[in-house]
Parts: sequence; C-alpha cells; structure tokens
Amino acid sequence: MTPTQIYNCQPTLTDSEVFDFCKTGYLMLENVVADDISQRTTNYIEENGHTPLLNEDWFIEGVFQNPQAAGAVRSLLGANFALPIKLPNHRVNCPMSSQNWHRDGGSRYGPQVNLLQVFYYPQDTPPEMGPTEVLPGSHFFFSLQSWMGHYGTIRGSELTAAPAGSIFITAYSIWHRRSKSTATGWRNMLKYIYWRTTAPKRDWIVEPDFESGQPPNAKFSHPTHQQQHRNWFDAAEMYYWLCGGTEAFDNKVGHDQWPPGYPVPNWTPENYHNF
Amino acid sequence: MKTTAQPNIRQDLLYIQTSGTALTSNIHGMSLLEDGEIIEPELPFLYHTPLDAIRDGWRVIQFPNAALMLDESKTYGLGCEFILEKIRCLDA
Repeated sequence: MTPTQIYNCQPTLTDSEVFDFCKTGYLMLENVVADDISQRTTNYIEENGHTPLLNEDWFIEGVFQNPQAAGAVRSLLGANFALPIKLPNHRVNCPMSSQNWHRDGGSRYGPQVNLLQVFYYPQDTPPEMGPTEVLPGSHFFFSLQSWMGHYGTIRGSELTAAPAGSIFITAYSIWHRRSKSTATGWRNMLKYIYWRTTAPKRDWIVEPDFESGQPPNAKFSHPTHQQQHRNWFDAAEMYYWLCGGTEAFDNKVGHDQWPPGYPVPNWTPENYHNF
Repeated sequence: MKTTAQPNIRQDLLYIQTSGTALTSNIHGMSLLEDGEIIEPELPFLYHTPLDAIRDGWRVIQFPNAALMLDESKTYGLGCEFILEKIRCLDA
C-alpha cells in the first residue's frame, strides 16, 4: 500500500471561491495540468495501466501537486493535507449509456469538509465522450444510493465537459454519474482523494469585506431542490465550519431579523424577504 | 421468457420528481419507461407539472409517499415523487 504523504503549499482560493464550493459542491479547474503531463499520462495508461502512476514522481508533481489544484485543495483542507494513496481509473469504451445517479459509498452529510474527491481528465472530454455529470448543491441531499436508481434527467445538473488537463474537485457526497457518450474510443478519468490532517481555519485568501458585507456571490445560479432557503443555510454553515467551527454560525441563528434557521443577516439571497 | 397473461399490452411509466405535493408543483426531475425502454427525457421537460402529464393521458399510480416524509435537515432525495402510467396496446 502506498504510504501516506503530507503536502503543503500556498492556498489559492478566495473567500468567494470557497463559498462557491460550499454552494455547488464542486470546483472546475480547466486545463491546469501541462499538456505534456496529460499526454504522458494517457500514453502511460495505454502501456502500463494506471495503477503504477502512484509511484511516478512526474505524475505526482504534475497532477497531485499541480499548483492550481493543490492550491485549491490546500484552501479547503488546510495546511499539510494528505496526498492520494489510491488512483482508480474510470475508463470507458465509448459509446456508452449513462450511469445511474449515485453518491459514492461512505458519504457523510453535514458541513464538514474533511476530504475531497478529485477527478482528472488527461484527454479532451467533450460531451460526446461522456464526462461526469454532477448535480450542483446535491452534496447536501441525503439519499440512499439504492433509492436513486430511477432518477433520470434532473434540472440543474451539469456536465463537466472539459479539455485535457482539467481537474475538478468535489465534496465527497455530491451526486454524480457518467453521462451518456456518443463518440467512439476510450475515455480515461482518474479519480482520487485528498484528506485533512489539521483543524479547519480561515487561512485561504481572505477578502476583508466578505463577511461583514454582502458577499458578491451570495446568489445561487443553479436551481435548488431543497426547502426554501435551506440551500443557503447549508452553504453558509459549511463556510463557517471551514472557517474554524460552526459556533460563530450558530450564534447568528435566531437573530431578530433572521427567521430561525435561515440566511445570515447581510448575506441575503436574491428574493429573500423577512416574514 | 414466458409470455404474460396479457401479451398485447405494455405498461409505460413516468417518474416525476417535484418541488411539492401539489399537482401544479414544478418538476425537478423526470425519467420514463416507454415501450419497454428506459428513456431520459431531454430538457426542457415536455411537462412543467404533474397536472400537465395527467392532461396528456398519464394516470397517477403513486402520489408522493407520506411514509417517506422528509426531514429537511436530514433527508432529501429529489423531493416529492409522482409515478404515472399509460398502457400501450401493442396491437394498435
């Protein structure tokens, strides 16, 4: 088994970007891995399979420690996070029908972000090649995997179609699936997990007016499938958890201008009204 | 495979996930069993509400199940689910 390696680097996400992750449960970083690394990865898989990549320094440095991806991971998981120790390849011989919606086994629900599930496309993955489809905000939906098989088209779902070298980072419990592919050929998609080793705190790139004012990204751009304002509450709770615990958040619940359990004052979403 | 007692008919199913229990609720998600094939309807959906589907001849066979009453802090799925059917006559 690959021994755990700790890694550290500078965080790259701002408050707004961290909050965006809290809202949607994922973050796309397009074409961040150098083309020569992605091409080498694709060739390597064809010749050796994907598992030995875990022992290749050029892969670890170019992908796991990629500055943009690792910087985002560092922002969300804190300093000295653990590098992946497993590396499944979701290799598909296209064309292929879509997969059932699911969340991966072991998902937990709540504001905690103790691990991140990350996907890497070493080759161009347009819609025709069946990129992963995600449902923004679904990291807060509890559902038994065995009760999700009959779901089909869901309003607000997004394809992660992206050029070679793209990495997207997800909250582990986000609903996702392989989408339908219509092109011909092999699609590789490497999937791996980083995890936290230190307590959460707000040590990413701080925007001074973020908390006291109206965050520029308080609005949700994706449709919600939750009870009114619940998506907002969950995202805010996750953000505060990442800042170092939910105590500050809990102290705001019940504010006299704030219906219990609903949005934080000054962070009001669009169409919000007191009642 | 053995044939059924009524080999000349086939059941179509429409699963609709909605924002609420009202027949006029907005649709979040949809899947379809049509002539024995599972279909994923394209967006925008053909129907905006369960009522639209009923007006198009679909018959409700299951309303959102109160036994699965959701707790907004714990359980979700995709909201409220209606299951509807049409009976297809294969001889037509």
